Amino acid sequence: MKRAEGTLKLLALVAIWAAMLAAPYWMPLVGGYTALGTRVLVLGLAAMSVNFLLGFTGVLSFGHAAYFGLGAYGAGFCLKFLAPSTPLSLLCGMLLGGIAGALLGALIVRRRGVYFAMVTIAFGQVFYYIAFRWSSVTGGDDGLRGFSRQPIDLGLFSFDILSNATYFYYFVLVCFALITAVMAFILRSPFGRTMIAIRENERRARFLGIPVERHIWIAFTLSCFFMGFAGALYALTNNFADPRGLHYSQSGDFVMMAVMGGMRTFWGPLLGAAVFVVLQDYLSSITINWMSFVGMLFVAVVLLFPRGLLGVIGGRAKA
Amino acid sequence: MTQLLLFNITNGLIIGAFYVLMALGLSLILNLSNVINFAHGGFLVVGGYIAYTITPYVGFWGALLIAPPLTAVIGLIIERVLIRPLYGRDPLYSLLLTFGLAFIFEDGTRFIWGAQGKPVTIPAALAQPLTNEFFFITGYRLFMVAVVVIAVALLFALLRYTRLGIRIRAGTLDLETVAAMGVNVRVLRSLNFAVGIFLAGLSGVLAAGQLGLEPTMGTGLLMPSFIAIIVGGVGSLTGTLLGGLLIGVASGVTAVYFPSASEAVMYVMMAIVLLIRPRGLLGEEGMMS
Amino acid sequence: MTMLEVKSVTKRFGNLVAVRDVSLTVQPGELRAIIGPNGAGKTTFFNLISGLFSPTAGTIHFDGRDVTHLKAEKRVTLGMARTFQITEIFPELTVFENIRIGTEVAAGFRLRPWLSHAEQAEVAKRIEAMLALTGLEAKATRLVGELAHGDQRAAEIAMALTLRPRLLLLDEPTAGMGDQETYDIAQLIRRLHRDSSFTIVLIEHDMRVVFNLADRITVLDQGSVLAEGTPDEIAGNETVQAAYLGKAA
Repeated sequence: MKRAEGTLKLLALVAIWAAMLAAPYWMPLVGGYTALGTRVLVLGLAAMSVNFLLGFTGVLSFGHAAYFGLGAYGAGFCLKFLAPSTPLSLLCGMLLGGIAGALLGALIVRRRGVYFAMVTIAFGQVFYYIAFRWSSVTGGDDGLRGFSRQPIDLGLFSFDILSNATYFYYFVLVCFALITAVMAFILRSPFGRTMIAIRENERRARFLGIPVERHIWIAFTLSCFFMGFAGALYALTNNFADPRGLHYSQSGDFVMMAVMGGMRTFWGPLLGAAVFVVLQDYLSSITINWMSFVGMLFVAVVLLFPRGLLGVIGGRAKA
Repeated sequence: MTQLLLFNITNGLIIGAFYVLMALGLSLILNLSNVINFAHGGFLVVGGYIAYTITPYVGFWGALLIAPPLTAVIGLIIERVLIRPLYGRDPLYSLLLTFGLAFIFEDGTRFIWGAQGKPVTIPAALAQPLTNEFFFITGYRLFMVAVVVIAVALLFALLRYTRLGIRIRAGTLDLETVAAMGVNVRVLRSLNFAVGIFLAGLSGVLAAGQLGLEPTMGTGLLMPSFIAIIVGGVGSLTGTLLGGLLIGVASGVTAVYFPSASEAVMYVMMAIVLLIRPRGLLGEEGMMS
Repeated sequence: MTMLEVKSVTKRFGNLVAVRDVSLTVQPGELRAIIGPNGAGKTTFFNLISGLFSPTAGTIHFDGRDVTHLKAEKRVTLGMARTFQITEIFPELTVFENIRIGTEVAAGFRLRPWLSHAEQAEVAKRIEAMLALTGLEAKATRLVGELAHGDQRAAEIAMALTLRPRLLLLDEPTAGMGDQETYDIAQLIRRLHRDSSFTIVLIEHDMRVVFNLADRITVLDQGSVLAEGTPDEIAGNETVQAAYLGKAA
């Protein structure tokens, strides 16, 4: 029984990676295009970062897009004002999101439940507001423009990820692989197990000697670093960063992706992101009222499929 | 100089009164049912549009009396059908639901009434400024404050003296005990929600007269309501009242000296409160922790 | 040095006084039972000792150290462990995984991103020992939520023990159990008591367990101490009989 379960999981993993590796080749066949795949990866990474906190620690952070947006602006600022280096821009984005998360996290970890959610949203909106108003620096509502991802120069080889969509897709895939590897690694570690313990029974976790607030803060900060990275990738994808990425409605989208795909699973959010992106792409092309359909999707998932796609297929909590 | 300050504080109080009306509805629902009603702004907009639609038939005063209860009924239906199934579950789900509802409301109003802003006519008597000196204090704005004061007084009276109100207050503190005492908690939550939405609808009618109508106006008012609740203290309606007035005044006063920072000052206040007194000014320790 | 010294502790919730001026001293290696009618404030008292909240007045000293206002998780690392009236476990994890979490914390690994093979082996060894001690070896891979009530309680005790506590607070360990399960848990507690490195304080309603295991008994009624003494003294105490023993079947 155990072995069958293990083999199934391995097969699923192989299937996911095979699909991702071959995306530029099979996507056009089903009416998609490579850039859509890139978008799925980036937003999927963001959804997985939210899930790191939401699904694995049980913390209701609803304002997480703020760190995504900060990552985007961080990357943009770097490319625009610092140096035309893609790796550096990724680092900048990640740091901006992560450090903001560390600071704000310290303020709010004492709270839980819906109050915590409220405060995370309110704080997220602070950044939205700043991005919106400080237009001299951030470009305001028009967003930050005038930068673009730079070709990767590895000495012998140079990858023009700017003009070649396929190269860029694989670049994003490599980044995705790196970050998700780190995520998986942490979740399997003793620290990761304390996160799951906090989710499963916070009181018992506390009475096992786990300083719950501190561990939540660490998990929060880590997820913000991941979000910042995803945001930086997003800026690179669009060569553009805008306040919308910071708005709490963006946060809601990420949470919905995680829930749709399966909140307690590792790969669920990626799947959720794929469905969400494709749906949104399709809907916005056929009707101007696509927003209400997205809203109805939220309602339907919450009422009818709360465990999400992968959640229904199976798997239990594991620590 | 002092006169200018007083003038701005008054202006701030007027703004604050409006925030209070919104925030109280949100706070009621939050305290009893543990639900953050993201769709609150949407209900406000719906209230405003309903008022707009029925004004030609019943006049402004008729709309003022009819639109809020009508909005409350819509709220009641939504609560019963969509939100009630989620009470036993992780609060995440009700958050996502009201979130989705907000989208539906925004698009829905756009679909029914069009994306153009709609002008709303208010009785001429109210539109006049009171004096030349305080030209901005139109009769309408004072009227708004009067309505808010009456509504808040009625709300607090409801909570203090009626059976429903007492049950709501008790339920906020200990829902289990209230249930054990034989009160139908589900009905209680529904009625509480309806009261909250009534306030949202009323805000919508008032806002329509002041700002005109637009499908997107609801979301902009949601954040100040959040901040009012956080500043005033979660779990405390008086706190929300205080919070709303405070941020209104702060924002109004700042508008004079640093016009672009008037919105920012609300966030700054929130940050300060969270730093020094995380439970909020009048919040209870352990409430909603 | 006394293991636990509670001095004149009072806990007020608004106008309700749940615990009123209670004092108690427990010696190392002692097994103390706290009994009393429902609503006597026993669990509130435990909550004060274990740090779920702070007393309104009074002090609590653990092994000579003032812990009155110390956070719960800190008291745990100082050597105080606790079980709850309603079993607090991780229901969707296996017994092994449940015990592993406490073991890793006790070993100082809670912030570690990874463990060496040697460290993993050491953790596994400790978990095995705990499973053996509580008789759960056969059920190690089962989800705790699916176990019988008695086994769940044993698992909870195992988790509390992973932290190498010196003081064990057990809140109604035999609550809701049939005779056989009660006997098993009582035997477990007796085994722990024999290992004199443990000091045990337990809240219990089952008088067979109390009178069989306890060195001393404290009786609480309506938030105050009604009586304290050896089992014989308490059995013979008329006030206690009137207030409590007479009522309980």
